[in-house]
Amino acid sequence: MEATIDSSTSSAQDSLEPDQFSYDDKIVRLFVTATILWALVATLVGLVVALLLVMPSLSGGLPYISFGRLRPLHTNAAIFAFAGNAIFAAVYYSTQRLCKARMWSDTLSQLHFWGWQLIIVAAAITLPLGITQSREYAELEWPIDILIAVVWLFIFGGNFLMTLIHRRERHMYVALWFYIATIVTVALLHVFNNLVIPAGWFKGYSVYAGVQDAFMQWWYGHNAVAFFLTTPFLGLMYYFLPKAAERPVFSYRLSIIHFWSLVFIYIWAGPHHLHYTALPEWACSLGMLFSLMLWMPSWGGMINGLLTLRGAWHKVAADPVLKFFVVGITFYGMSTFEGPMLSIKAVNALSHYTDWTIAHVHSGALGWNGFMAFGMIYWLLPVLYQTKLWSKKLMSLHFWTGTIGILLYIIPIYAAGLMQGLMWRAMDDTGHLVYPEFIETIQSVVPLWWLRVVGGTLYVSGVVMLAFNAFMTWTTRPAVYDIPVYTAPRLSKDYPDEPATESDLKDVPMLEAGKKLSVLGKMNWHRRWERLPVKFTVLTTAAVLVATLFELVPTFLIRSNVPTIATVTPYTPLELAGRHIYVSEGCYNCHSQMIRPIVAETKRYGEYSKPGEFIYDRPFQWGSRRIGPDLAREGGKQSSFWHWRHFENPTDVSPGSVMPSYQHLLDDDLKFNAIAPHVRAAAFLGAEYSEEELNNTEAVARKQSEVIAAEIVAQGGPAAMYDKQAIALIAYLQRVGTDLFKTPEPAAKTPADSPGDGEAAAADSEAGTTGNEATEDAQ
Amino acid sequence: MSEAPKTDHAYDGIEEYDNPLPGWWKWLFIATIVFAPFYWVYYHGGAEGRSVEDQFGIALAENTRLQFAEIGDLQPDTATVAKFMGKDSWVKVGKSVFRANCISCHGREGEGKVGPNLTDDSYKNVKTLGDIAKVINNGAGNGAMPKWSHRLHVNEVVMVSAFVASLRGTNAEGGRPPEGNKIAAWPEPPPEEEVEDEKEKS
Repeated sequence: MEATIDSSTSSAQDSLEPDQFSYDDKIVRLFVTATILWALVATLVGLVVALLLVMPSLSGGLPYISFGRLRPLHTNAAIFAFAGNAIFAAVYYSTQRLCKARMWSDTLSQLHFWGWQLIIVAAAITLPLGITQSREYAELEWPIDILIAVVWLFIFGGNFLMTLIHRRERHMYVALWFYIATIVTVALLHVFNNLVIPAGWFKGYSVYAGVQDAFMQWWYGHNAVAFFLTTPFLGLMYYFLPKAAERPVFSYRLSIIHFWSLVFIYIWAGPHHLHYTALPEWACSLGMLFSLMLWMPSWGGMINGLLTLRGAWHKVAADPVLKFFVVGITFYGMSTFEGPMLSIKAVNALSHYTDWTIAHVHSGALGWNGFMAFGMIYWLLPVLYQTKLWSKKLMSLHFWTGTIGILLYIIPIYAAGLMQGLMWRAMDDTGHLVYPEFIETIQSVVPLWWLRVVGGTLYVSGVVMLAFNAFMTWTTRPAVYDIPVYTAPRLSKDYPDEPATESDLKDVPMLEAGKKLSVLGKMNWHRRWERLPVKFTVLTTAAVLVATLFELVPTFLIRSNVPTIATVTPYTPLELAGRHIYVSEGCYNCHSQMIRPIVAETKRYGEYSKPGEFIYDRPFQWGSRRIGPDLAREGGKQSSFWHWRHFENPTDVSPGSVMPSYQHLLDDDLKFNAIAPHVRAAAFLGAEYSEEELNNTEAVARKQSEVIAAEIVAQGGPAAMYDKQAIALIAYLQRVGTDLFKTPEPAAKTPADSPGDGEAAAADSEAGTTGNEATEDAQ
Repeated sequence: MSEAPKTDHAYDGIEEYDNPLPGWWKWLFIATIVFAPFYWVYYHGGAEGRSVEDQFGIALAENTRLQFAEIGDLQPDTATVAKFMGKDSWVKVGKSVFRANCISCHGREGEGKVGPNLTDDSYKNVKTLGDIAKVINNGAGNGAMPKWSHRLHVNEVVMVSAFVASLRGTNAEGGRPPEGNKIAAWPEPPPEEEVEDEKEKS
């Protein structure tokens, strides 16, 4: 369809002879199409999970479409499929124009496109199958992770950097800076967060455990938001907004300052996702302080966007593309104010684990990412298909439907978050919980969840309008696309530096330092950097790395961050298998395992969680949202038979529960012979296992399963269930959070010292801190 | 609004103004940076009572005082449970503990689900009021009833025992059939003054 024009007249040539070249818009058309398709999928799956919350029985007991497995599919589809393809469309369209150069290699462009779609399809298959790492937005298992690293860094990153190097525009525009930061940092985050020891093709065990794993994951998680959903979209904004508005960008200097401050400060902010958890307090304080500093750098982007429209507001009134951009940027401003606010510990104590976070991310995802992408697509459609947009009216309808949809989504969910947070902490004047039943606090937000379904439906229908409009536009495309040929000289090797800038204050009698500062403020030093893509990339990497190492090194090196607890021992093979089921089913999507040192919380769930309790947790399972109660002290809290009944039908034992039935765990056999690789991986990573457990794993696991099965029978449950998956999961659940209360091994003490039963019980009731100290003494 | 001069930059037709940083933007940015060391010194300067753990300890002590200051630490025995059965405000505390921890097995009204019915006259492991506290503390029935001694304050055990005792005879609807043996009626709670006397003595 597209007549190719040889862009490289001669690569060896080094003259100022003008080159002839054309842009590769075919790849942009592909990415735009993929963006629209994945937008449909991501929002539809979102609607499905929203429905599953209000009607848990909707899944019909089919494990593949339970909330715990579909929710990661929704987030991954929204972030990596929808937003990802939108980013690539923006990068491929704008980079070529900003560099006056075709993408360096059409083959790499194609490999990038198809490789990325392959990754997404692999995600869409593996996640419903329960193949997951359970780390939010990094759920995909290691073979797919390797593919991501190759496609992102070598294919996309390589193609992009080579295009920069072969550009015909002397200076790099701010959009390109943001693309550079995106590519470098996402690669860094992805690789270091996903280091695992494989236990088969579909399972890897994180090289980090517990507190450190949580730290790494939220270093990644927070910066996935920063460098996948923020910086590339700022790049998108910097190109498409002035294009669509036909107005100059508000301030070059603001671009520089907010770019570098954003890149440097964002990286520190991760620990604010872990306030009041077992993460060391100093790390949380760093996270909070840098989040506050992030407020203005983020708003720098908003200001530069909105003020670019000065003198063009009449255009906004007439052009839905600009309307999408204005609403998108406004939501960016709102959520980047809210982000720092939520990072304040006192606010976070209320908001964490509630729907507040969900509302916050959706104002960002639906408002900022969604609307910026839609604005870009509507601007691109007529350009790419060289025709008129099929219906401007439908585009306008999409804008209004989408806007109302967002508001109807986020307002009830904000209310739900606030309400549940307040109910959890409410205490009466005798010091007791006002809402001791967890179920009550969920039941009260269910009506608000229904409103979200309505808002979500509106948003999805907007995406459908986009898809239809795009399809109809495509049908009116010309038979052959016109491919304009451009002419521009190559860059000469020698470019004279600008003459040293003179201060405006040259003749003013004042300190020399002041004059130097005023010269610095003219940003000519930065102008020089903009001519040097490799140096710019190195500097960006350095900014990100330095900030990372400042937080990361102490977290890993200072031993006092994770005080050892002598009674904490590795999971047994059966418990490990149960934990694997817990991870696969995505239980962490609704249940946290992290009790914060807050009175209302310890009264509800028990002694708060200690860092030393998690040293064998790979990956950590602290969770981020409590749709069900916290499980950090679940061990021994219910009888094993209760768990059995609960998996069979949760509403039997807790009426009003929104948890679906896990009947398949009661029906399906546990593969005892598949447990060994898990134990070996854990042992390789430092967990102490006996020879028996390592070499005779299956028999050890079977023995424990028979004990649990017998317990269930003794408690009135069904007989002969020892080989069912639920048994392993129950074994794990009965273990969670119990090590802290165990009496230390008598080996460390003389028999005379070992406390009598009564004393032990008394010590138990005081629990926590005292138990912790006692065991440290015992070492 | 007056416009700063444009820079000479142009990229694919996109131009840039050379506007200075907005003053409020610059100063708020500086303020958030300056705030950091003060916060750090305040919370991480080593002063006692400011860390999350210290704050929790203070709040927990305050909460315990609020709940139990007037009664001290109780003994989970028949006499104590009988004493508190007669005090409605304390039975209410027991009810709150019950609703937080027990209803998943014993039902909202104590009618029994996985666990036995607490509203009839038959009991499996209980003969006296003190036995209720004992079962709660140590568990029963091969772990069907978990042990609660390290989860609940000893006073909470007494209060929830008193509440459970008070459920007897309410015969909640839709309950599980009676299990175990019929046992003798609870002793009458001691008259109020006596309780006060004892408290003063101790």
